[in-house]
Amino acid sequence: MLSARNIHKSYQDRVILNGVDVDIAPGQISCVIGPSGTGKTTLLRVLCQLEKEDAGEILVDGEQNTAPWPKVTAVFQSLFLWPHLTLRENIMLPARNHNPQADKDIEGLIKLFEMNHFIDHYPNQSSIGQRQRVALARALILNPKYVLLDEITSALDVEQTARILTKLTHLKERGIGVFLITHHLGFAKRAADQIIFMSDGKVTEQGPPAILQTPTTERLKQFMSLAEIGA
Amino acid sequence: MTVWDILSNYYPAFLTGLSVTLKLCLIIWGSGLLIGSALALAGIKCPRSVGLPSRGFSFFLGGVPLIVFLFWLHYPVQAMFDVVIDPFYTAAFTLSVVNLFAVADIVRGALHDFPKQYLIAARVTGLTRGQTIFKIQLPLILREILPPLLLLQVAMLHTSLFASLISVEEIFRVAQRINAQIYRPVEIYTALGVFFLAVCLPINGFALWLKSRFTRNLSEQ
Repeated sequence: MLSARNIHKSYQDRVILNGVDVDIAPGQISCVIGPSGTGKTTLLRVLCQLEKEDAGEILVDGEQNTAPWPKVTAVFQSLFLWPHLTLRENIMLPARNHNPQADKDIEGLIKLFEMNHFIDHYPNQSSIGQRQRVALARALILNPKYVLLDEITSALDVEQTARILTKLTHLKERGIGVFLITHHLGFAKRAADQIIFMSDGKVTEQGPPAILQTPTTERLKQFMSLAEIGA
Repeated sequence: MTVWDILSNYYPAFLTGLSVTLKLCLIIWGSGLLIGSALALAGIKCPRSVGLPSRGFSFFLGGVPLIVFLFWLHYPVQAMFDVVIDPFYTAAFTLSVVNLFAVADIVRGALHDFPKQYLIAARVTGLTRGQTIFKIQLPLILREILPPLLLLQVAMLHTSLFASLISVEEIFRVAQRINAQIYRPVEIYTALGVFFLAVCLPINGFALWLKSRFTRNLSEQ
């Protein structure tokens, strides 16, 4: 279990996270939803120890670990592919450290993500959707136990988004815990095992996807009604 | 008298001048690249108080014409301290100082603007510190700084001709002296121009090639 316990985080005087508790279980998809600026990305960065919490603790399988990578890994909205390496090299450079079967596994990932016709291109020669798949593949080849994804489908069209989100359900079957920040409420309803709704730096409501239909807090009710208007 | 005749008659003098120019350039390039890079690293890695004087001096130097700086070190400073320094060393020192601060500016800019997201990606994918430096940071920074550094070094080679103004027997001064003897300015300065073109054009071309080759792959968008 990847757990955040009573996490507090501020930047100067601005409180970003105010006592957040979440658990991400292996083999489950936890979808984080909520308005912009409520600390979702900061929570992700604290969970994968890119930022130090001001108070509270992060436990990876019950233990504190200040460098849990790549057991806990992340894919960000901007992808962060290394631009001087081909897409294949982007995947293989870290993979060789952590996966003795990397040469074999990359072939499986190329098939799974349909990357064979662009895998030897450079990032700037590929579309956003292609880079998105490579960023995911780069994370998955490391055999992580937990994958944290920050709005990775925000720049994709409907078809590409559906494809990526379908792939995420495969991760669940492989026992990987997925922490996904998303604005796709439809996907959250269908695939998530746990919904975490954040507002004002706190987890306002969490539970099974059913909470999206029958929210108990006023804030989630309000968010869902606005989301319906926006959909 | 053709260019070839001049070169064959006066080649010992030209070779001496050329060797002085090359020695001067090796000192300027070597010290500039080594000390300039070290200065830039110190400016980024060390506390602000270490980097600030270097930036301040660089800013100050940018406002002083090189020739004024060179003459100032050659005449008034030596008179003030009542010392006589070989003009070659004065020129080497002056041009090295100018080069090392220019190098430091280029390297510091590249280090400062290095996109942090590539380091974040290296961390979350579990790259070692060595891999992050040698496989990610260094190649990307080298791609960024090599073209301007090469162009700067070519500019410094051109600038080394100023050394002739304080009597350093480098190639331009040799050419001037030969011209004073035989008065064939067209042939002599054409030969000098061809020499500089032969040295500088390939370096400039290489710098431009590097720039177009590598900046293409640096954009993530």
